[in-house]
Amino acid sequence: MMLARVADSLYWIGRYVERAEHMCRLSDVMLNATLDRSEAATQVARIALAAVGDPDAAKAKNPYDAALALALDREDTGSIYSSVARARENARQVRDQITTETWERLNLIYLRMNDAEAAHSFAEGSQQFLHDTIADLHLFKGAGDATMSHGEGWSFLLLGVYLERAQLIGALLEVVFGEDRRRRPISDHFALTNVLRMGCALEPYLRVYTAEIQPRFILQFLTLDEDFPRSIRFCTDQIEQHLSAIIRHAGLAGRVGPDRLAGRLRARLQYADMSDLENEGASAFLKTVLDECSAIHRSLYDAFVAYPLEDRLPA
Amino acid sequence: MSVRRDEAEAATELPASPYDEMLTPRGEVRPHYAALSARLSTLSPDELAERQKTQERFFLLQGITFTVYGAESSTERIIPTDILPRIIPAAEWAKIEKGLTQRLQALNMFLADIYSEQQILMDGVVPRELVLQAPSYRREMQNLYVPHKAYANVCGSDLIRQPSGEFAVLEDNLRVPSGVSYMLANREASKRVFPGTFRGAGVRSIDRYPDLLLATLKSMASDWRPDPQVVVLTPGVYNSAYYEHAYLARLMGAPLVEGRDLVVHDNMVYMRTTTGLRRIDVIYRRVDDDFIDPLTFRRDSSLGAAGLFNAYRAGNVVICNAPGTGVADDKAVYAYVPEIIKYYLGEDAILPNIETFLCREPSQLSHVLANLDKFVVKAVGASGGYGMLVGPHSTKAQQDAFAEALRADPNNYIAQPTIQLSTAPCLVDHAVEPRHVDLRPFILSGEKIVVTPGALTRVALKKGSLVVNSSQGGGSKDTWVLSEPRGER
Repeated sequence: MMLARVADSLYWIGRYVERAEHMCRLSDVMLNATLDRSEAATQVARIALAAVGDPDAAKAKNPYDAALALALDREDTGSIYSSVARARENARQVRDQITTETWERLNLIYLRMNDAEAAHSFAEGSQQFLHDTIADLHLFKGAGDATMSHGEGWSFLLLGVYLERAQLIGALLEVVFGEDRRRRPISDHFALTNVLRMGCALEPYLRVYTAEIQPRFILQFLTLDEDFPRSIRFCTDQIEQHLSAIIRHAGLAGRVGPDRLAGRLRARLQYADMSDLENEGASAFLKTVLDECSAIHRSLYDAFVAYPLEDRLPA
Repeated sequence: MSVRRDEAEAATELPASPYDEMLTPRGEVRPHYAALSARLSTLSPDELAERQKTQERFFLLQGITFTVYGAESSTERIIPTDILPRIIPAAEWAKIEKGLTQRLQALNMFLADIYSEQQILMDGVVPRELVLQAPSYRREMQNLYVPHKAYANVCGSDLIRQPSGEFAVLEDNLRVPSGVSYMLANREASKRVFPGTFRGAGVRSIDRYPDLLLATLKSMASDWRPDPQVVVLTPGVYNSAYYEHAYLARLMGAPLVEGRDLVVHDNMVYMRTTTGLRRIDVIYRRVDDDFIDPLTFRRDSSLGAAGLFNAYRAGNVVICNAPGTGVADDKAVYAYVPEIIKYYLGEDAILPNIETFLCREPSQLSHVLANLDKFVVKAVGASGGYGMLVGPHSTKAQQDAFAEALRADPNNYIAQPTIQLSTAPCLVDHAVEPRHVDLRPFILSGEKIVVTPGALTRVALKKGSLVVNSSQGGGSKDTWVLSEPRGER
């Protein structure tokens, strides 16, 4: 049992933290790749910007400014700063529900990004800045894992993390492999390696597929791998597990909708193979995944947060 | 011996000179400050400043901040805190504790009386119109059953130490007193800053405040609700005391709710949880009377819940503190507290009041008007150090403005002689200097009355200033109440 508003805030902490981490990584990869002056480097920058939802391809010519704005622009609700600030604001609203150890980690990241010196630190060493932020976000998750009860609240937080992650990875794959983009398929080794870096997947990929970097394997790994924590399949597994945990805590088994949706999505990923993706087309497949994630999100609200009161009043 | 007495008399002839918490008038360190003073002499100014910085960092990291809203952006600031503890010896505390218990007991009896039989008004001890016309008097509370007659479950009284060394009550706070989280946070911090001195001093623990608060709140629930659900009601994250609300909720293990989480149905109060509605028994509300129920009090409020007060009247939920307690900490009623204590308990007040002139009495008004440059004049309804004239620190124009206001609405004002608050050593710009302080202990009352052996010491960080309110440049520091020394010293 927990307040509906609290569950909502915990869920959004998870989403914003995951979003901030993903965008830090994309910026970091972009800045690192564009140290080379090559067509492939510009292509990496274009992929990164498109994956964070910035359609302005011209910005890829000036990756430093793009990364700076992405990191610290306070006006832009899509910036890393905004995600961190919102995660922390949500955490403040449920300060009584998260442990001090967990709160301190998040507050520290916020204080650094909110510092008057933040732009200066970024200019001094932008990759270091992004790298530190990612590391601190990992510490936040680790502190939560090690100190918070793994009950209902924790499940709401992780539900936010994995739903967000599934959608972010889905969006990235759509940019790289979507057929609708009317672009030459990406085949350059440098660009493909950096795509793996954007999914934090390079090292785990190498262990499975060796240094043979092929688009088809990348798509397979990031979509269907069973064990890699950033594959869509892994995320959908987690989404289903945390939803069942919440439903078990709530004593609502068999009465609500989101678990049915989550089960279907998990099964879709579990039993798919590459030939399905190739026959159906990556775009169509990813669109189904993203749509079902959105449906789970809505259904979650209907079941736990914004339910109609009439249904729940005592007789 | 005779020399000493002469000096003591000489000291009392200088009414303006404040009591120094650490030093005697002869400049000797008082025994209970000896250990701290010795420790201070081993630390360089830079080391002290470094400790001050560590403490501020601790507060910032913990999120012990309040938000300052500006036109363009808002910034979070920490409440200024001072690392040097203020120390109170056991014997002095024993008297304070007795005095506070007596006072709250009498004030609760007073509230129970004026919200039922009104015997004290009929006996003419307190003027009837003074109580019934006070804006904080809530007619809605008339004849409403309050368990244990405990109206003010959490009380934070403001004490000051007069030049004579005697503590007196400056103000009672019976509505929604705040600051207890700073008391606890300051303690956390000072344990880190002066661990050795702390260990050696025998400081009494204040750690039990949260569970004593929970026990107090639970004792207010009806007997037929054996495992009562207690919640903390906050106005929300934008309230300046939000940190404290979240802190207390976390340490009590009680949900922190906002008005929008509450639903009232059939005179029962529920909160919206992920599993549906869950019934609430006790609400520790940190929302002012005016805002708790738009149906009963202010209609434009969205901070409470519609129907909450009716549920309270029906006995299905308990609101702590009870609405309407403000009438007992009204600045004009304050003047009568010694009589109130005498009336209900047949005892003299252990902690004296500050001499108070009621401007509603024509003879007292003319005395105040003639001496505006010496008095502190306060508006009866105001708080937080606002609406106040500090005579000796005021200009002629300010005095004239107040004189006019006093004549226009004398009922709204009281006056007190300007008291030199005692001073305690504080770290100011790398140096230890005396600053004026007051003392806010916290008293819980439910089934019984409990005084926590500690307090928030508020500091006027501006040199010479007597205003300790955090809204006006005040800070705070830890307060060490020492335990009874074992055996002979």
